[in-house]
Amino acid sequence: MLANAIVKGVLSLNTVYVLTGLVLLIFAILNFKDRNNKHRHGTALFWLILGLIFIFGSVLPHWVTGLLVLLMVAIDGVGRVGHKRADEVTKSGQVEQKPGSLGNRIFLVVLMIPFVTFGFAIAFRLLGLNTNDGAIVGLGFSGIVAMVVGLGLTRGTVREAFQEGRRLNDAMGSVNILPPLLASLGIIFTASKVGDLIAAGIHKIIPGQNLFLLIIANCVGMALFTMVMGNSFAAFPVIAAGVLVPLIVKPFGVNPALVAIITLTAGSTGTLMTPMAANFNIVPTALLDMRDQYGVIKYQAPFALTILAFHVIVMWLLIRMF
Amino acid sequence: MNIPELFKLSGIAIVIIGLAFRLRTTLVVVTAGIVTGLIAGLPLFSGDGVFQGLPLITKPGQEGIINMLGRAFADNRLMILFIITLPAIGLAERYGLQEQAANLVRRMKAATVGRLLVVYQLFRILMGILGIRLSGHPAFVRPLVFPMCLGAAEATARAKTVDSLPAAEIEQIKAANSASENYGNFYGQNLSPVLPGILLVYGVMKGLGYTVNLWSLVLFTTPIVVISVILGAIQFWLLDLKERRRLAAKH
Repeated sequence: MLANAIVKGVLSLNTVYVLTGLVLLIFAILNFKDRNNKHRHGTALFWLILGLIFIFGSVLPHWVTGLLVLLMVAIDGVGRVGHKRADEVTKSGQVEQKPGSLGNRIFLVVLMIPFVTFGFAIAFRLLGLNTNDGAIVGLGFSGIVAMVVGLGLTRGTVREAFQEGRRLNDAMGSVNILPPLLASLGIIFTASKVGDLIAAGIHKIIPGQNLFLLIIANCVGMALFTMVMGNSFAAFPVIAAGVLVPLIVKPFGVNPALVAIITLTAGSTGTLMTPMAANFNIVPTALLDMRDQYGVIKYQAPFALTILAFHVIVMWLLIRMF
Repeated sequence: MNIPELFKLSGIAIVIIGLAFRLRTTLVVVTAGIVTGLIAGLPLFSGDGVFQGLPLITKPGQEGIINMLGRAFADNRLMILFIITLPAIGLAERYGLQEQAANLVRRMKAATVGRLLVVYQLFRILMGILGIRLSGHPAFVRPLVFPMCLGAAEATARAKTVDSLPAAEIEQIKAANSASENYGNFYGQNLSPVLPGILLVYGVMKGLGYTVNLWSLVLFTTPIVVISVILGAIQFWLLDLKERRRLAAKH
């Protein structure tokens, strides 16, 4: 009883959201004080808003949150998020590392993250609570535990930790907010019945209820759509709403977790074959000074096509088994 | 399917065109959502609270697009909870995390290019299981794995011939290096329930009305990870085989 009360009160998703929001507020302040960055105001405002959404997202009226999201996107849209050095244009993102004699013990710091996450999931299970919430709340607290362990091991300062955290956060920039934005896009598409439209289109090509053909349509469709978008995360909400749920999960009553994750990696096979995923396929050819810009894609294509076929087979077999 | 219905697909067209022109992804995604919603006849705002009864931007009994955006974004902010781990990871990097990881990679002992790449793919999957995000191409492949592969290739070749490696072969080794990083990264990251891939699937499925278990997502991705390792190993073994054939043909 008491344990449950504590878990529900302190170790809740909301606490973790507030803590993450506070971290973002600190990033915002550090960005604001960084006079070397020409875009410090936009950048600081961007992370400030995200921090506020994290802290107050559960109590704010949805339309306010919606407008705040639009404001963030507007700041990013006019290119005001990120680093534009006033003094020098190209400074490599290399960290100046402090030499230490920590050796492999430095791994302890990052290992705290999965360790605490799993620990919370197991603890929640033992207490008869939701293991999903356990993993997510655990992830939140793992950040704090890892920082404390890190400070103890390295004898670094809290200020250093947040400066370095800000550096990593800035390096990712506005890409950070893409996953929830894409999930929102999926929800708007669903409300607009875009999914039904795609599903109806596919039903014209594949009449009847042939599960195997629908699995092929789903996996190949996901790969193709990812190739066009260059990003499996962007393709997933559309395919999930338009193909996976209406044509496979609903009519056949299959395990949604099983088909959903295999659909996502079917998208990854598409990522292996598209120049749109420049970071993975085109940038490396430049880094390695390759003669053929599409050399990586050509090398990956046979692998990708083979594993795509395996996606169809594995999905079909696992549906049979579960 | 009538013509106005098809216009709803314009959101998808906006995403494709916007990304092709390299516009800001956030802007493209939100524009696509709003345009699609408006074409589908959804109101901008819900008709309750402050906007009650306002014509044009609300419709009685319908959730507005902006409300939907706010609700979905707030519900799905769990996908980016990893932000809270950044100070710890940053601190670890400052005190030599990357350097130490590089040491691990340097210690990979493998006699041939193919075997090195198999080991590197496994290393990448291990990082995925631990939920550690790396930008592998610039941080590991270019400075570490590729030079090690060149060393291995030269050692293999020099045993039989002093000729330097043919350009075509180096090109193949470069491509295989990038592929090893991509294979390990793409499939390995789903083995951690706290990396964005799994959380995206969780969030999207929840939005569609299905609450799935994070751990069963990890469980069901395992067969594909195993297959990716086997297929990668075959492809890298073929690379070694080709090299051995080439050297044998020279003698």
